Amino acid sequence: MISVENLSVTYGDLRALDDVSLDIDAGEFVTIVGPSGCGKTTLLRTIGGLEEPTTGRVSVDGDPPDAAQSDARLGFVFQDHTLLPWKTALENVTFLRRMAGKDPDSAGARDLLATTGLDGFEESRPAELSGGMKQRVAIARAIHLGADVLLMDEPFGELDEITRDEMSVEILSLWRETRKTVVFVTHSVPEAVFLGDRCLVVSGSSSAAGAGRIVAEFDVDLSRPRDESVFGSEAFGRQVAQVRSALHSDA
Amino acid sequence: MSVVQRVPAPGVVLPLTGLAVAIGVWWMFTVVFAVPPFLLPSPAAVAARLAGNPDLYLTNALDTLWKIAVGGSVGVVAGFALALAVWAIPVLDRAVYPYLVAARVLPKIAVAPIFLIYFGVGFDTAILFVAVIVFFPVVVGTAAGLDRTPDAHLDLLRSVDADPVRTFLAVRLPHALPDVFAGVKQSVTLAVVGAVVAEWILSNDGLGSLILVASENVQVDVMLAALAVLIAMGLLLYGGVTLCYRAVVWQ
Repeated sequence: MISVENLSVTYGDLRALDDVSLDIDAGEFVTIVGPSGCGKTTLLRTIGGLEEPTTGRVSVDGDPPDAAQSDARLGFVFQDHTLLPWKTALENVTFLRRMAGKDPDSAGARDLLATTGLDGFEESRPAELSGGMKQRVAIARAIHLGADVLLMDEPFGELDEITRDEMSVEILSLWRETRKTVVFVTHSVPEAVFLGDRCLVVSGSSSAAGAGRIVAEFDVDLSRPRDESVFGSEAFGRQVAQVRSALHSDA
Repeated sequence: MSVVQRVPAPGVVLPLTGLAVAIGVWWMFTVVFAVPPFLLPSPAAVAARLAGNPDLYLTNALDTLWKIAVGGSVGVVAGFALALAVWAIPVLDRAVYPYLVAARVLPKIAVAPIFLIYFGVGFDTAILFVAVIVFFPVVVGTAAGLDRTPDAHLDLLRSVDADPVRTFLAVRLPHALPDVFAGVKQSVTLAVVGAVVAEWILSNDGLGSLILVASENVQVDVMLAALAVLIAMGLLLYGGVTLCYRAVVWQ
């Protein structure tokens, strides 16, 4: 579904990514974890066509990201909810689809808001919603767009830990229903392990010597469906410890 | 049966009390010190002037209002258009914008006598002068507003390859409107000043002209009556713009 071959991205003298290759299957949930400034966001943005590869190649379903953008195949969810403050929750959900040149589907958008627990908040504006609710609207917007691929850049980064855990469970059930391909960037190791089929560890410090590379890759060995009970399980703790040690051994 | 007592909002009561006290002090001053009416007429005398010949003030007020409306509209449209051009064309931005900002220090009123030489006395010259005065705050406000769109919102639209016109209308313009209106609000007060100055120098009608002629005849009561009408007009215009702002711009 997504293929990244020998990707390097540099900004002037700054080398953000160095020779990264990866393949993601359709319907797979891949998490990318790493410290701030390691290049994980750059990787996600390059897959989504918001940054240009300096060398190497990215393709989405065989096409370059630009083509995937034009067909509304890529649904971004950013750390900042990026809702338009003057539009209601419902309008925000349909807005991106209209911008992509597709017919809006109000009923579908309402259903999506209901599925994400926002029944009754259709006419609320972002200022009236909590941080978690705003991110739910942003996720509904990406799904309503009809994208096959969800590119999520620390979407829960600004939420409190309790809301984060709730949202993690919710995103998994949404993913189970919609079977989207998800690339999920985070700096939280437990989040990366809990969500992912596969967890990629990116390391780097944005200096010439320490450009972002994938330093480890884990197949997460936790049965699905996963819910809150996973957080307390021994297997989960073990996997988290493994990923942590991969992060720290490289740093 | 219950008696409902309607208490006016304190936001209105205090300013009105202040006004009443000021007029009362003015009145007492004229009575206690027996000021000759030709030097400082009492508020009652000014009100009598207004009531005695309402047509004179109304006709002149409409003349002035018309200059503000036409000149103001021309100035707002031209200012918005230039800001748009400056924003869209980087070369223009660097070559022209610094001078638009610097033009704040230019006392526009000093330009009126030059206009007199080039364009002569008349309605058109007055319009042009009001337009020039209104123009600058609108350009600067709009140009600032057009840069106000958060990058993340632009990324979002880029991720679905939204066309530039749609992006502009749906996201950039609404983000700019508060600044555009800030410029227009500033312009309204300036436009009243501009119209009065224009009527002193560039045309022979309207409240400005009435004040000037009354000054030559030492009719302080007429001058104060015209001034009162000007203040009322300025407040109405400012209120009108504020209402437009509330109707158009998200809060």
